[in-house]
Amino acid sequence: MGRAIVITSGKGGVGKTTTTANLGAALAQLGKSVVLVDADIGLRNLDVVMGLENRIVYHCVDVVNNKCTLQKALIKDRRLENLWLLPASQTDDKDAVTAEDMKNLVFELKQLHDFVIIDCPAGIEQGFKNAIAGADEAIVVATPEVSSIRDADRVVGLLAAAEIPAQLVVNRISANLVKKGDMLSQNDVIEILALDLLGAIPMDDQVIATTNKGVPAVLEGKSVAAKMYIQIAMKLCGMEVPAKEAGSLWSRLGRALGLTAEPA
Amino acid sequence: MWNAVKNLFGGKSSRDVAKGRLHLVLAHDRTGLEGGKLQEMRAEIAAVIAKYVPIDADAVEIQIEKAGKRETHLVVSSSISPRNA
Repeated sequence: MGRAIVITSGKGGVGKTTTTANLGAALAQLGKSVVLVDADIGLRNLDVVMGLENRIVYHCVDVVNNKCTLQKALIKDRRLENLWLLPASQTDDKDAVTAEDMKNLVFELKQLHDFVIIDCPAGIEQGFKNAIAGADEAIVVATPEVSSIRDADRVVGLLAAAEIPAQLVVNRISANLVKKGDMLSQNDVIEILALDLLGAIPMDDQVIATTNKGVPAVLEGKSVAAKMYIQIAMKLCGMEVPAKEAGSLWSRLGRALGLTAEPA
Repeated sequence: MWNAVKNLFGGKSSRDVAKGRLHLVLAHDRTGLEGGKLQEMRAEIAAVIAKYVPIDADAVEIQIEKAGKRETHLVVSSSISPRNA
């Protein structure tokens, strides 16, 4: 039986879909069987971020309405051995599926795959409730900004009420701005939201460039953001993340972000 | 203008200001109480206290504070007038 993880944030535009795509790709690269579920019915985007928009025939609403089988609606990502996408419908609205439908869908996917990663829509209404219905755990994505953190806090409260354990990904952090005192550090965000940190993704122009091309940054592999996504995926699998050499660029960057401790 | 803003916040970095504002805003958000309801509660609590001890009901203060990880404290404070005043 696989694990269902919902990627959520409350606020829009903080990187839920990018995180879903990259964690999915990274987990698949680690040999796991992964299905990405776009739960943003009416405003689907995971397909374009993954570069799979031209291959959609059926979507999750078709599955719920018994117009096709679940297997038929899954799009296989040809770049990786074991990565699939279940697209959302673009023409229906959030009420086209119920929380119960989503629960059943996710449960069925967990039978055959190691990870079901659910891309949650922004907001805390029906779409959010549907997206978390089948989830075993949650990743809350927040950028180090007051609006994002405030909304994330609402979501943390709602997840706690639903008894879904949550971990934090701080997205688009700039070591430079933190140093200048003009950005909240990842430790600030951890302290305010009182969540365990899964990882912090640095602000990285490469993510914008690869997303333009419909390629998750992880598949191009070289950017700092990609490396962090891979580390997060390893952590999710319970693998040990390789320790950095004390003087490497990586460890210096990590320390600047407050990610790793100062050497003793 | 920029200096005025800077002085207003005592020359703190924008990071510290953000932290302080978030602590305050989240403490209130977590109660699920809108501003009006809080004042209503304050007035009711003040009336109850006034039944038992001599106080100035208008001087009763109510505050929501962050305490510990995700806990929030509701703090009501009031000074009591001396008995033989």
